[in-house]
Amino acid sequence: MKRAVVVLALAGCGDLSGFGGAVPPLATVRAEVAGDFAAVRLPGKAPALRVALVWGAQWLTEPLCIRPPDDASAAAAIAAGCRDPFGFVPARVAVDAPLEADGSATLSLFDLPGADVMVGDVTARVAYASVVVYDDLDGNGTLSLGQPNRLNGRELGPPDTAPPAADTVYAASFVTMTEPDTRLAFREGAFNLGAAFYPRSGCGDPLPSFSLVSAGGFSAAEAIAAQLRGELPKEPPGTCREETTDAPVALTYRRPAELHEVACEELRTDSSIRYREPPSDQPDMTRRTMACAKIPDFGTGTASGTIQLVVSGRSDDACIGLTHYVLRGCRNDPMCALPQWDITATPPTWWPCPVSAVGQ
Amino acid sequence: MWRIAVVIACCFGLPRVGRADDGTLLSDDTWRYRPGGDLAVNAGLAFGFPAALPTGLATGLGAGVSVGQGLAWGARAAWVSATESSLAWTVTHSDLQLRVTGAVNRAAGRGTLGLRLGLGGTLVHESRLRNQGMRAGLTGSDLESSAYKMLPAADLDAIVALHVAGPWLLVTSGGPSLDVLDGKLRAGWNAQLGVAWQP
Repeated sequence: MKRAVVVLALAGCGDLSGFGGAVPPLATVRAEVAGDFAAVRLPGKAPALRVALVWGAQWLTEPLCIRPPDDASAAAAIAAGCRDPFGFVPARVAVDAPLEADGSATLSLFDLPGADVMVGDVTARVAYASVVVYDDLDGNGTLSLGQPNRLNGRELGPPDTAPPAADTVYAASFVTMTEPDTRLAFREGAFNLGAAFYPRSGCGDPLPSFSLVSAGGFSAAEAIAAQLRGELPKEPPGTCREETTDAPVALTYRRPAELHEVACEELRTDSSIRYREPPSDQPDMTRRTMACAKIPDFGTGTASGTIQLVVSGRSDDACIGLTHYVLRGCRNDPMCALPQWDITATPPTWWPCPVSAVGQ
Repeated sequence: MWRIAVVIACCFGLPRVGRADDGTLLSDDTWRYRPGGDLAVNAGLAFGFPAALPTGLATGLGAGVSVGQGLAWGARAAWVSATESSLAWTVTHSDLQLRVTGAVNRAAGRGTLGLRLGLGGTLVHESRLRNQGMRAGLTGSDLESSAYKMLPAADLDAIVALHVAGPWLLVTSGGPSLDVLDGKLRAGWNAQLGVAWQP
């Protein structure tokens, strides 16, 4: 009897929380930013620096951007309108926090990455995130992702206007695979290197669940050579790290011009292209680079030398991209059998390219 | 082999003509009403509002014993459990309701109507699991926690009992309940559907 009373008395001392109380984060990432901010700061009002954790998207560049250019004008348009094919492409901002005066920030994750940012099946999938330091110019408290500023076509479908990148990025832990990077990884199940999602060949697998992984970066030439061998490019020996999220993520301030693509999302991630019918009036080509280029068909001959007009975004746009005009075709396929438009007989007066296909 | 021989010998050596059993389980007397004694024991399915969770339906089992007819006293215990989720937590509360009861009963035909007051406590066991915590690799108290707490409680139940067969009754009861959680009075309800044995 005494024993029962003691048990009940002790039981009464417990504390029920129900749905209340503090919710522990699923992961916590500490960011530490170093460097001379004043040296890289853009002129303007007092900055409101914040730190965001951004999950990356699986993205493939469009064929025109990786093919050898037809001529110098095409090379110029590619240079002005194609983003780094090895670069980090954001998909979603997961969490955001203000940057403290001592250059540190703590990012607490209360949600796991969604399946749309994880690559692989449910037995082996992974997501990567970049830690981004930015100036919250629009004051909305989160990193605003921008999109390329593409030109409109003629009447087919809604215009592809996109919000410009409103915030300025000053540091990122993962900018491109051709530079040293540190990423937050979320791994579920096994790790499938063959998925080639921002590959780190030669490095160890990310730890289960959340971890920080680092790599030294490979060159574009090494990546192309490895691809020709049917391999993934190797990370430099000794540059790999896989550690828990207890370690801080070290960042360094950089010029925003080197980082603007970190905050530029892509509507199409599978290398497909939205083709447009050229409008009757010439679009505003101010500060844009354009070129007449053959539609790439990788030597299959299916494009039959069809010419497209590619136009880059404006030189001062935060996000770069290409607009594709063809005189005949469909939105997703310029060589479609039943074209949605065909104005080869009556091209716009401003059309600068050959009307008929050219020899390959 | 010898087992088979024994079976065959029994089949052929001990023949009996099949006939109905004289000791029938049911007879006219089975359904005849007869008032029960002072002792009544009951048990059944229990339902109710969780004692400490803000939402949900707790289900489980309950049992009780009472002595007396017009005025009866006794004790009851019920164990009910409810699991509910928020964005962050999956919370399971298991309530062990322990009551000392006093009841006023009145016979009405084959049935009995009553009003029962129960006083005592509810021992609540709470188990909390952080949603997605296992996938995220959380361990220890960040992943799950549990706690016990005894809450003072009281129930007021209306009782309807119906004599069905011999000493067996079908009993249903239900009514409001009160408990004290963190110094605040919480209202709820309890109900039970079961059988009673009143020899």
